[in-house]
Amino acid sequence: MSCSGRGEAASRRRRRARWLAVLASIAGLVGGGTLLTGTTTSCASPPDSQRYTEIIMPDFPTYRDHVDAYLQRRCGTLDCHGQPGRAYRIYGFTGFRLYNVDAGLVSGQQPTIPEEVLANYQAAVALEPEEMSRLMATQGAEPNKLLLLRKALRIERHKGGPAMAEDDPGYRCVVAWLRIRVVRPAPDGEWEIIPQEDREKLPISAQQDCERAKSFP
Amino acid sequence: MQLDANRTAEPTSRWPTRLLGGAVVLAIASVGSSCNLDPVHNSAVNSLGPEDPEFYPPESEYHRPGEPCALCHSKKGPAKSKFVLAGTIFWGPDDYNARVDNAYVRILDANKTKKCFVTNCNGNFFVREEDFSTLTFPLLVSVERTVEPGKNEETLVIRRMASHIGREASCAICHIQGLRDFASPGQIRLFDSDQEFRDRNIPLVDCPPPEDFVQVTQCPEDRF
Repeated sequence: MSCSGRGEAASRRRRRARWLAVLASIAGLVGGGTLLTGTTTSCASPPDSQRYTEIIMPDFPTYRDHVDAYLQRRCGTLDCHGQPGRAYRIYGFTGFRLYNVDAGLVSGQQPTIPEEVLANYQAAVALEPEEMSRLMATQGAEPNKLLLLRKALRIERHKGGPAMAEDDPGYRCVVAWLRIRVVRPAPDGEWEIIPQEDREKLPISAQQDCERAKSFP
Repeated sequence: MQLDANRTAEPTSRWPTRLLGGAVVLAIASVGSSCNLDPVHNSAVNSLGPEDPEFYPPESEYHRPGEPCALCHSKKGPAKSKFVLAGTIFWGPDDYNARVDNAYVRILDANKTKKCFVTNCNGNFFVREEDFSTLTFPLLVSVERTVEPGKNEETLVIRRMASHIGREASCAICHIQGLRDFASPGQIRLFDSDQEFRDRNIPLVDCPPPEDFVQVTQCPEDRF
């Protein structure tokens, strides 16, 4: 009897110890969570209407001269991205036209105007501005992170099916554009935007790719 | 004992209720499967309005020229036949009543498969699923009208689409009849002005056609 009594007392102690351990871990989790919430919320600053996030933009002249014609042709038909409802909206001669009462642009009639090319460029950048910034900061190291290419390659769902392949000239043209260096280390240890006149040009082979891609399909 | 008796009696008394419940569920499921519940599609179909017997024979292959055919002739219905591509060819940019009979609509798909289809007396052409089951977008399309289809196959006029078709089965979704603006190039036409068509004195065909009308069913390349 005395032996079993000691055994019961020991098992009761073990159970109590186990309960205490469980309670202690719950208290630890709750306490840690509260502390974490407290620190993160206390770091948040009040809304500032003057604050903006600077976007590192890819090279516009290269886009205008080499890339836009291909993307217009490949993606900008009226039944695809030549539509007002698309986040990535493309304007151009054979597709959707930039609405302007004075210009009176009609689909399939007047040639593409510079304002439309600029709007196409802005649409490509504005699709994922932060991701574009990261890509530009790394000189286009991983272009397939961009939704613009993820959709076209059908890495992500794309209603229009695969629009590019990694071995076609259109894809190479777009990637070559994204790899043009637009930032460089500044003397103060920060980064600075490379002035337009100092930027490298699109390589000849990429220019040829863009030319070939323009004639799609 | 009383409790046990109740327990055994309960299931039998619930059977009619359960059967009724099952029948209701089945009825709802069958209604759901037979009707399209997509409000966007339904709204688009409803916006077409009723048929207009003044302009075409209703509910026929000649009906609703210039309207988006594959809106109804699709998996979502309500038409029974399914089209993978369909549209209407007009002679000029504005005249709704001048439609091209026996025009050859040539399609080149992404697999480089070529197929040709012919318009009927009302200018309508349609590609049924079974006629081109392998059709893969994007497509390149051209339209040709010969001098006298079936007899004199010399080209009268030919037009090629400036862009490709990305994925839309209804030509009229982009080629909106009677509207040429920033979002539509207007109806599909063989001449850029109605006057140019009128100057050529090309006869128009009534629809349904008269008995002496020759409806060509195949393009020249499929005939010879």
